Amino acid sequence: MLEKWQKEFAVFVPSKASGVSQMEVWDGQDTAFLDRNRNTAVPPKAKFLPGMEKMFGFRKEEGSYVVEPTDGEPPKQLLFGIHPCDARAIGIIDMVFKDAYDDKYYLSRRENTVLVGMACTSPYDSCFCTSLGFGPADATDVDIMLIDIGDALLIEEVTEKGRGILAGAKGVIEATEKDEKEAAAARESANAKVSRKIDTAEISRRLPLVFNDREFWEEVSAKCVSCGICTFLCPTCYCFDINDEMLQDGSGARYRNWDCCSFAIYTRMPAENPREEKWRRVRQKVYHKYLFYPELFNVIACTGCGRCIRQCPVNWDITQTLSKLPAGSPGKAEEKQKAS
Amino acid sequence: MTISDISHRKRYLPEGNVYLPHIAVIEKIIYETPNVKTFHFNFKDEKLKEEFTFESGQFGEYSVLGIGEATFCISSSPTRRDNLECTVARVGKVTNALHRLGEGAEIGFRGPFGNSFPLDYMAGKNLVLVAGGIGLAPLRSLIWNALDNRAQYGSIDIIYGARTPGDLCFKYDLESWEKDSSVNMTTTVDREAPDWQGNVGFVPAITEKVAPSAKNAVAIVCGPPIMIRFTFPVLEKLGFTPAQMITTLEKRMKCGIGKCGRCNIGDIYVCRDGPVFSYEQIRNFSSDEY
Amino acid sequence: MTREIEKKLRDTVRELLEKETIDRIVGYEAGSLKFSTTPLITSNKADVDRLVINPFTHSNLSVFLRDLCGKVGIVAKGCDARSTISLIQDRQIARKDVFIIGAPCDGVIDLAKVEKLIGLDRDEIDDIVWQGEKAAITFAGSTQKFSAKEVLADSCLGCDPSDFKECDMLIGEIEPIVGGKELGQDRIREMEAMAPAQRWEFWKKEFSRCIRCYGCRQVCPACFCDRCFVEETEPRWISPLPKWQDNLIFQVVRMMHVAGRCTNCGECERICPANIPLGSLTKKMEEIVDELFQYRAGTDKDAPPLMAAYQPDELEDLMR
Repeated sequence: MLEKWQKEFAVFVPSKASGVSQMEVWDGQDTAFLDRNRNTAVPPKAKFLPGMEKMFGFRKEEGSYVVEPTDGEPPKQLLFGIHPCDARAIGIIDMVFKDAYDDKYYLSRRENTVLVGMACTSPYDSCFCTSLGFGPADATDVDIMLIDIGDALLIEEVTEKGRGILAGAKGVIEATEKDEKEAAAARESANAKVSRKIDTAEISRRLPLVFNDREFWEEVSAKCVSCGICTFLCPTCYCFDINDEMLQDGSGARYRNWDCCSFAIYTRMPAENPREEKWRRVRQKVYHKYLFYPELFNVIACTGCGRCIRQCPVNWDITQTLSKLPAGSPGKAEEKQKAS
Repeated sequence: MTISDISHRKRYLPEGNVYLPHIAVIEKIIYETPNVKTFHFNFKDEKLKEEFTFESGQFGEYSVLGIGEATFCISSSPTRRDNLECTVARVGKVTNALHRLGEGAEIGFRGPFGNSFPLDYMAGKNLVLVAGGIGLAPLRSLIWNALDNRAQYGSIDIIYGARTPGDLCFKYDLESWEKDSSVNMTTTVDREAPDWQGNVGFVPAITEKVAPSAKNAVAIVCGPPIMIRFTFPVLEKLGFTPAQMITTLEKRMKCGIGKCGRCNIGDIYVCRDGPVFSYEQIRNFSSDEY
Repeated sequence: MTREIEKKLRDTVRELLEKETIDRIVGYEAGSLKFSTTPLITSNKADVDRLVINPFTHSNLSVFLRDLCGKVGIVAKGCDARSTISLIQDRQIARKDVFIIGAPCDGVIDLAKVEKLIGLDRDEIDDIVWQGEKAAITFAGSTQKFSAKEVLADSCLGCDPSDFKECDMLIGEIEPIVGGKELGQDRIREMEAMAPAQRWEFWKKEFSRCIRCYGCRQVCPACFCDRCFVEETEPRWISPLPKWQDNLIFQVVRMMHVAGRCTNCGECERICPANIPLGSLTKKMEEIVDELFQYRAGTDKDAPPLMAAYQPDELEDLMR
């Protein structure tokens, strides 16, 4: 089936061939990802929002600038083996790239991509997807969903696009009731394996009340080293920087690249930096994901994939911070309520 | 300078790929202060030059292609469309590159982005405009806009100050407003200076002295954050309510359209929901980072 | 053995806080993942019982010293203590503001090595017990023993405990590290054997994966610049974009900047999300510094920082 798809799309599969676990172009041979189905280190967001992306080029012609938009459609791609947490994350950040103005770079890649999901059967001990409203085997935001039922893969068609790519595929047969039962069992077993939990209702209740609890934020942020690892590996983080490059002859290009709100210079201006202190940056990270983004788009910008916990150099753990939120010393919200 | 009636004008909204800059040519450069310049520019594309409109308070993302992009408000008024103007202080890489450009040089422009001063709310009211230093730039757009539609507003008080006489921007406009009998113009500098005959004192203190009435008035304050922080209490003492006080907020910006993430204050993006905010809105922000 | 040492550490720190010899302590506590620790930074006596000592105390805690006020106690492995001394040499902290508690360390376990050895991820391993010269690892129902060389971090294998010269208090005996100075250098010897063109291709491939997260820079105590050269805009030394050329130059320049300060603690390599073998660069740099200047970072708090001082009789053939 992959071979058939390869004719039409650039097929990406989870692979360690590059030296780090991420989505790589399928070499036509490797099937290791079917046997060992643990999530990649670098999330698939890199296929829609690359670490470095050219926005446009420019050159000088007779002393005058000519802007050269990046031409044409991005190549069609098929991402095979996306875990539900990553697929849902893509659905979550779709919203910001569609909001107000269309971000054509991101959206055109999205349109030209087919997502083939693979249910997660061995979550890490750092995963907590089940607390965020879905499970490791849910068919959210993918075009087709595959579940490993031992000797076969059960296919769940989810979208028209998904149905389309399955048409005429060899070896695809009707699933039996037994198959469906096995899939349901696999789903339940995967759900049960997710051991880490957070209480999002309580978190949503407490966050507005503790924004100004400086002591708390200073304490929880003390060991953060302000690098970009959690952000760059997070499937729902999308902040970017814009930089120009230029050659001697005056031609060049503008690029965008990943940026991180934990970096000290993220909000630095010539006159001041509203987040000079580390505790403000750590606070921003937590609030943006669990309060501000939900206020705009009605969804928590986190899918519990656990990469931030696994990869953090100092094992800073967002689930620990969230479960330690003070019960609510009067913050601005309450004071305002009292005043009005 | 031709003054146009913009009341019927269709609002120009950026379309298509809003990350692509339009090329504009610098037609004139005015040296406002030792480190501030105003650039008069126009789009190269004739159609765009004709169609382009904006509203006072909105900003653009100006590029020196190859060096970078920076955010500045449009300091000219939409009623005066012979050209567009932006006022730039030299503080870093992009602004230095802009300052090195000469007349005839080309820049990129993306916009107009952001919200604008609420002219509907201000109609029929007395305007009190308080500015410091280069903070006069966004207000200048509003002031000429109001003066070109003078009948729509009540009294107009302008209180403007800078550190030294040399740091006063738009000195030519200050002269015009001084001469305009329908405007009550007060200029000040922070400290005594040779050959300076006017007021001496910080803007908040001078505002207190001028004591504009809050009755049926709206105050628009723009300048260094510390000036704004000290001016608001003065206005409150004079009876202005938070809804009657308007300002513009500044943040580091890149995309200008609410996507790159960095200009947020809580769940609002200064580039998309601002930069114009009332003090009442500011007090209700879920974050104190302004 | 570990339990005794932990108890001794906790009692010691509690006393130091009680007597106000220190205002706060920076140590390790149990992490939220298996086989991990996380920094514990506290001035509260009640938190002291959370302090641990085990072979998973990876972080170089001296990276936090510059930002903490008052007199700070630090639970330091040999390399971390030397990093602390190096910071004192660079006048980033004052000797009187730090109280170095030397923790006996015979090396930290490199989980990446273990995962590769066993073919399982850390959360699929049942237990890892360090027994002084071997590690007993329990997985898939049985326990196997592995030698130190197989499981300890390369930077630990090459550790010379005689470098550890200064501390305020030792919690236990300094036992010789399992290994010897020549161990943990297989990769470097391999690279030295490569032809330059081959080596270039190798590093080009490695740095193509770099995502410029600056994790290496942020965990490094020697990278203490308030404004890193990467952030300079006038002039812009290297591009902020993650192109392999700029990634490579970033790391090379970083190595040059930390030369004489780097104690080869191994953190930069351990945390790199792109698995770039930065430890080879740090180890090689350490060797070069030793060879050219007979200098070991952080061994003499009164010595001027290596690259910040010049002796008239120094090797002139450096300037070529």
